[in-house]
Amino acid sequence: MGTQSLLWNSVKKFLTCGLIGLTISDRYASIVPVRGASMSPTFNPRARNFTDDYVLVEKFCLKKYEFSHGDVVVFCSPSNHKEKHIKRIIALPGDWIGATHNSHDDVLKVPKGHCWVEGDNSASSMDSRSFGPIPLGLVKGRVTHVVWPPQRIGLVERVFPQERVSSFK
Amino acid sequence: MIIIEWLQAYGPSMVPTFNLTGDMFLAERLSIKFGKVGPGNIILLRSPEFPRKVMVKRLLGLESHSVTYVIEPMKSDRCDTIGVPKGHVWVEGDNIYNSRDSRQFGHVPYGLLEGKVFCKIWPSKEFGSLMKSGMKDPDSYS
Repeated sequence: MGTQSLLWNSVKKFLTCGLIGLTISDRYASIVPVRGASMSPTFNPRARNFTDDYVLVEKFCLKKYEFSHGDVVVFCSPSNHKEKHIKRIIALPGDWIGATHNSHDDVLKVPKGHCWVEGDNSASSMDSRSFGPIPLGLVKGRVTHVVWPPQRIGLVERVFPQERVSSFK
Repeated sequence: MIIIEWLQAYGPSMVPTFNLTGDMFLAERLSIKFGKVGPGNIILLRSPEFPRKVMVKRLLGLESHSVTYVIEPMKSDRCDTIGVPKGHVWVEGDNIYNSRDSRQFGHVPYGLLEGKVFCKIWPSKEFGSLMKSGMKDPDSYS
């Protein structure tokens, strides 16, 4: 019947668009909301309850896993693979990082294949200062731009506390 | 990989389950996403030391499991027992004499798992689904 084939056509188009969307978001880039204030003021600068910032996450970096100091990345939590966090890479493999652990000042070497991540809002951020360096394999994308709200659209800058990190390369 | 992938294995760490070069197998990702993996499964794992490398190993322990492993199989039979923390897994190659795995780099986060191997394709005389545990009895880990 006419309406049946129309319905089937719509279903096919919907499934095709869905598959294309899934492939793009899996391999190239996706847009995700940022929850929480651990990256304040870079994301969610005021504790606004009604709109989270939305950011563009690119996946091209996962071809080579080459990151720079100050990159903001999305990664799976090492204690719960279903949770994803957004933090900034402060130190790369082989770097020495100054971290305070249980109120002792400590200098740690980031192991091969791992990185040290911290939130920009150190007062309220669960990051490598609690769970240690994370394998780079947990990184699922790099945040390049803020895309919402419109007044804050722009590039996400690479900044990091250079005084706490030494790289001998 | 989105759902199923056809892959080829290299290296000695999973002998005799996979030969030194060229065995092909199918792996799927959905079991990992839904947590339907357990001790004895062969899994794909992104290396914690070289993120561009994906390894094939056997899963021996999930979080809160207690795993016993031989420390240096070439030198002695001494064993050690370790608990696997929350969100992590313990993996070993079937060929413990020539495998770089959790015995060297420790427990790894579950998020590094990339897929579960469910069927061997090549060589054709070894075609078929892979048994849950080749060498080790999963019931000995609790």
